[in-house]
Amino acid sequence: MKTTMRTTVLSLTASVLAAALPAYAHHSFPAQYDIAKPITLTGKVTKVEWTNPHIFIYIDVPDEKTGEVVNWALEMGGPNALLRLGWKRDSLKPDDLVTVEGSLARDGSPLANAKSIVMVSTGRRMLAGSSDGTSAPEER
Amino acid sequence: MHCRYRLLVTVTLAILGSSLASAQWLSYPTARVPRTADGTVDMAAPTPRLADGRPDLSGIWTAANPSRQKAGEDVASDGNDITSSPQMANIGVGLPGGLPYQSWLIPIVKERTANLAIDDPHIRCLPDNFIRAYGLPHLLKFVHTQDLLVVLNEMNAGYRQVFTDARPLPDDPTPAWQGYSSAKWFGDTLVIDTIGLREDTWIDWNGSVVTEAAKVREEIRRSDFGHLEVKLTVDDPKAYTKPWTVTLRQRIVVDAELIDEVCLENEQFVERMRPLSSAQE
Repeated sequence: MKTTMRTTVLSLTASVLAAALPAYAHHSFPAQYDIAKPITLTGKVTKVEWTNPHIFIYIDVPDEKTGEVVNWALEMGGPNALLRLGWKRDSLKPDDLVTVEGSLARDGSPLANAKSIVMVSTGRRMLAGSSDGTSAPEER
Repeated sequence: MHCRYRLLVTVTLAILGSSLASAQWLSYPTARVPRTADGTVDMAAPTPRLADGRPDLSGIWTAANPSRQKAGEDVASDGNDITSSPQMANIGVGLPGGLPYQSWLIPIVKERTANLAIDDPHIRCLPDNFIRAYGLPHLLKFVHTQDLLVVLNEMNAGYRQVFTDARPLPDDPTPAWQGYSSAKWFGDTLVIDTIGLREDTWIDWNGSVVTEAAKVREEIRRSDFGHLEVKLTVDDPKAYTKPWTVTLRQRIVVDAELIDEVCLENEQFVERMRPLSSAQE
């Protein structure tokens, strides 16, 4: 019951916060990612780089057709942004199964900018501090 | 509505458990914050003052971003909702006709904008100067005493010193990222003059710059507890055809603290970024 309550409130908070998505970008989002190419990946965490300017996690994702496992790099916000969103440096650990929503890299590599991460074992959803395409230089 | 939001976040943080709250000072209550009966920060409370009666500019500040605020919303930040200002992308966004670039600078800014700022020194982890810092989504902490205003920048553990003893500006300054700043009071307005900035210092994401010739004046007013108004004038005849003035509004951040943000720890974006045209092939 307590876990369910916590998950519900976290989801609600995530929804509220998503409405005012922080722009924590260190770099231009569209210079690296394509907001028009959303992707959802589920896999096991293999590595967590809790570092500035942005955190990276790596997950093994089996290809649905071939079964081949691809190791994806997922960019998140910076440590300060994630700490303020409720993350801890050990919130994700190797072997955790996660589902990640994000945007694909434009260079075709197995890289994406993570928007949210769900812990499959608990259903807990956390925002990933994505800049989400909102921080590009202004067009003239 | 705002109260519900604050309540929701507060409840959520409480549910997250004591381990989060005690791990570090992420949400440690800021001292001497005026609050209304329901606990909301009273943004319109009187301006804090130093012992000499001058306005005390101390506090953590972030860009007030009217484009992201709902109508009538005027709230303190808790550090969890910081955003960049529209002036981060184009510091002259509110000026009729935009910034008055000299002719040599027009194609440079145009190219930098078209290239999605991939040459931005910020991405290479170089310091942001104070003009730009007012609009970036990195917290600024003002520590104000009678003779000195120190601005700590969360990004790259940066700092800026403003001497409030009205000392003369240096005659032939070695260019510096933050230049050399001396200030004096005019009533309740702190007027800061700065010279000695580096050549080709980016002041927005579009790639607008100031040069070594720049003279920058900030007129800073803290009219109440929750707001800081920075009226900034750039007189740089090398880069601009005439002086220009913009206002860079800030709002207070409470119950939060600066957190390490040292960019070079694991910078890997410079290698990965590319102009928009190259990736659409």
